[in-house]
Amino acid sequence: MRYIFKFPDIGEGLEEGKIIEWYVQKGQAIASGDPLVKMETDKVVTDIPSPKAGVIAITYGGIGDIVKVGSPLVEIDIEGVDGVAAQVVAAEVPAPPSTEAVDEKGFGVVGTIEVAGDGAYLPAGDEGISAAPAPTPRKKALATPVARAMAKDYGVDINLIPGSGPAGRVMKRDIERHADSVRLKEAAAPVAHEVPADTRDDYRYEALSTIRKTIAKNMLRSKQNAAHMSVMDEVEVSELVAARTRLNAVLAKEDIRLSYLPFIIKAVARALKNHPVLNAELDLDNERIIYKNRINLGIAMDAEDGLVVPVIRDADTKSLVQIAQELKSLIDKAQTRQLSLSDLKGGTFSITSFGSIGGYFAVPVINYPQVGIFGIGRLTEKPIVKDKQIVIGQMLPISMSVDHRIVDGGEVTRFLNEVLSYLKDPLLLLAFEGVNHEL
Amino acid sequence: MNYDLIIIGSGPAGYVAAIRAGQTGLKTLIIDKKYIGGMCLNWGCIPTKSLMESGKVFRQVKQAAEYGVKGIDPEKLEFDWNTAISRTHGIVSKLSRGIEYLWKKNGVEYLKAEAKILSATQVKAGNAIYEAPNILIATGSRIIPQKLFASSVEIEDIYEMPCTALKPLIYGRGSYAIELAQFFAMIDKRPSILAESLPLMPSLDSHLESFLKRKLKKDGIPIIPLEEASIKSGNLYHKDKEIEYDVVINAGFREAVLPPMDIDLEIKNGYIATDDSFETSVKGIYAAGDVNGKGYLAHAASAQAMEVIAAIHGKLPEDGKRLIPLNIYTDPEIAQIGITEDALKAQGAEYEVKQISLNSNGKAIIEGDTEGFIRLIYEPKYHEVLGVQIVAANATDLISEAGVLMELEGTTFDLARTIHAHPTVSEIYMDAGVE
Repeated sequence: MRYIFKFPDIGEGLEEGKIIEWYVQKGQAIASGDPLVKMETDKVVTDIPSPKAGVIAITYGGIGDIVKVGSPLVEIDIEGVDGVAAQVVAAEVPAPPSTEAVDEKGFGVVGTIEVAGDGAYLPAGDEGISAAPAPTPRKKALATPVARAMAKDYGVDINLIPGSGPAGRVMKRDIERHADSVRLKEAAAPVAHEVPADTRDDYRYEALSTIRKTIAKNMLRSKQNAAHMSVMDEVEVSELVAARTRLNAVLAKEDIRLSYLPFIIKAVARALKNHPVLNAELDLDNERIIYKNRINLGIAMDAEDGLVVPVIRDADTKSLVQIAQELKSLIDKAQTRQLSLSDLKGGTFSITSFGSIGGYFAVPVINYPQVGIFGIGRLTEKPIVKDKQIVIGQMLPISMSVDHRIVDGGEVTRFLNEVLSYLKDPLLLLAFEGVNHEL
Repeated sequence: MNYDLIIIGSGPAGYVAAIRAGQTGLKTLIIDKKYIGGMCLNWGCIPTKSLMESGKVFRQVKQAAEYGVKGIDPEKLEFDWNTAISRTHGIVSKLSRGIEYLWKKNGVEYLKAEAKILSATQVKAGNAIYEAPNILIATGSRIIPQKLFASSVEIEDIYEMPCTALKPLIYGRGSYAIELAQFFAMIDKRPSILAESLPLMPSLDSHLESFLKRKLKKDGIPIIPLEEASIKSGNLYHKDKEIEYDVVINAGFREAVLPPMDIDLEIKNGYIATDDSFETSVKGIYAAGDVNGKGYLAHAASAQAMEVIAAIHGKLPEDGKRLIPLNIYTDPEIAQIGITEDALKAQGAEYEVKQISLNSNGKAIIEGDTEGFIRLIYEPKYHEVLGVQIVAANATDLISEAGVLMELEGTTFDLARTIHAHPTVSEIYMDAGVE
C-alpha cells in the first residue's frame, strides 16, 4: 500500500520549510522514526522523521526547494499490505511546492492510498516514533530472474519491493510499477523558483529566509491576536550579584559559570506556580482558559539567522546548575543551528534578556499564544537611595508584556512583585526549593 | 436438497472443479447427462492419443529391423482396429473410474441426468430440484454438424466404427483433425484433410504451422482448402482433381453447449460471457471451459475450474495472464507456450529467436527421432524467454520445462546455466540458452 506523507504541521505556526538535505532516496527501506529529510523549518534546521516503515517510492522536491505544510514530502510503499492496491497516482500531480496555493485534494488516486491527514501533526518528542516496532527486512527477496535484472538496472534494492507473485515473489510487473511511480515523481519534480537579484543601485532585494518569514508571521499573529499590555520596573539586585559571585567561586571547580539568567528563570518559574493564569492560554473557540501544569520557559535567543526560542522544561523543578547547563547546551545548539523541534516546542511562558546586548526597557512581543513574556534589560550601576543615603545600586530593569484578555493589571503586578522579590533576595528562592537537587 | 455448489458437466472443467470443491469443504453435486469426463476423456484428448499411440507402435514395429529386432516382416503387419479401440475403451474406463473415485473420496455427489437451471440458485435434474448458492456451468462445446456431405461420422462415433476407414476425409481443422489424419496415415490408410479454414492450427506460430504443413505433405496427406474444393453429387474435387474418400469424419468448428435454463445469462457470440473470475452476468453462476469461449483446451478448462473454486472462496483473480501450453500429438509432436513470433511482430516488439535443431542431439539420434527443433523467443534486453516452440517426439512433455521457466520469468541465461543430463532430448534447452 502506498502512504503519502505530507509535510506535517509541527504546531508552531509553521507554514513551510526548505529542504536542506535528503537522507533517503527512492527505493530505500526505512523504519518508522528514521529521518527522511533535513528541513529548515520555522526556526531551526531539523530532521523530519518517517511516520511509517516501508520503502521510499517518491521524494518530493530537491535541495533548496520550499515545501508547504500539507504538501507531500514522500510516498512510502508499506510492506506486507495487499499488493493489489493500486499504486498509480493519476494525471493530477501536486503543484510544485514553491507555488503559492497547494491543492491538497489534488490527488487523483486509483485504489487505496493512505494519505496523512491534513491535520497531520508531528510529535515534538520522538517517544512515540521510536516506540514503533522496527520492521524485519526480508533476507533475500523471492524474485524472478528478470525482476532481479531490472531492479539492478534501476538501482533498486529488490529486497525492499513488495512482491505480487505467488508467495510474495517479486515479479517483473512489481519492478515496472515501482519504475512507473519513480517516473511520475520525476515528472512531478518541482522546479526551484529563484528570485532574480535586482541590479538597481537604490535597493537590494533578498528573498526572506524561512526563519525570517516565520518570525514575521508569528509576530504579526501575536500583535493581531493578543491584547498587549506592558509593565516596567526596576529591581535592585546587589544581593543577587553577590550571591552569584559566591556561587561562581565555588562552581568554578566544576567548570560551571552561572549567568543571571538561571536566577531569573528560577524566579519566574516559581512565581508562575503561584500565578497560574500567566502560565495559561486563552481558548476563545471553546470559551475557556487552558491552564498548563508544566512550566516550560522559552528563552529568546539571538541566533545568526534570527530569533529562536528554545525551551527549558519544568524549569520550576530544576536547580540553578541544571538550568545553567541546559542553557549552555541550547545556546550552543542555537548558534550551530542544531536545535531540534523538541528543543523548541511546548513553551508556556517566555523570557527575553535583550539587556545582554543593550537597552534598558522594551515592549516585548508575547510569544503567542502564551500569556506573557518577561524581559530583562541591561544590569547597571545607578545611584539609589538606601537608608536615606545615596549609594550605588545594582539596577536590573524589567519589561514585561502580558495578554490583557486573560489577565488584568493587578494580577500581573502581584506576579511581577513576586519575581522581583526573588531577584532582590535570592535566598527566598531557596526557601521554596522543594524537589530540587543540589548546591 | 441443498449444496454449496452444483456443477453441470463433468469434463476437465467440471470434474476438476468438483474435486477441488470437495477438497476445500464445499458440499458439491456434479451432474452430467452422459459420461464422466466429458469430451476430453470420452472422445477427445484421451482416446485420440490412445489411437495415435497404436499408430506410432505400428510404425515403429515396421522399423524394428533397423534396431536389430529380427523376425518381423513389415509386409505382414496388420493394424487391428478393434483391438486398438478396445484398448482405448479400457484406458477411458480406467480414467473414468479414477475420477469417480476422487469424487467419492472428496465427498462429491454425482448424478447422471440432464440439468436445467431454474434460477440463480436452483437446478432441476431428473424430477428433483437442487439448490446451491453457486452454480458452475461446465457443459463444454460440441462440433457443429457439417452440411456439405450427406453423412459423416461424428467424433463421438469414431470409436464405434466397426472397422477402420481406408480413405477417410477429415473435415475441419485443429489438432483433432490433424492428429486423426496423421493416425490414419501411420496405419497406412490414405486420409485427406478438407480444411474448413486456414491456418490449420489457429494460434500456432506460423513457423510451426509451416512445419506442420510440410510434415503432412511429406506423410502424403493432402490438405484441401475449402475454397478450392467443390462437391458434386457427393464427389469431392480439389480444383479439377477428384479426391477419393470412403468416410467423412467431422472435426469442424465447435459451438458452446448451453444447458437449458430459465434465467437470462449474458451470451456473447454464442458463448456464456464471464468476468476474470469466470462469473457470469448472474451472481453466483460461473462458467468454465469451452462453454465460455475463452479457449478450447482441456488444461485451460481445468485451470479455470480451479480459479472458480478459489473465487467461490473469495479469492480475487490472479494478477497476470496464465501461460497455457498448446500441444499437438502428431508425430513428431508439436508444442508451443507463450507468445508467438507473429504476435511480437504485430506488436512491433523487439525480440530475438534462437533455433536449435535436434539433428545433433544424442538421445534424439539414438531414438531415431531427429526431426524437430526448439525455438526460443526472447526479448533482447534481459533475455527473458517469452515463448518456446518445440517439435520433437516428446515435445508435449518437453514444453513443461519452458512453462516453469516462463512462470518464473526466466531468461536464456537460466536455461544455459541449468545443467541438463546427458544424453537427453532436453539438452536442446541448454544448447539454445547458451550465447
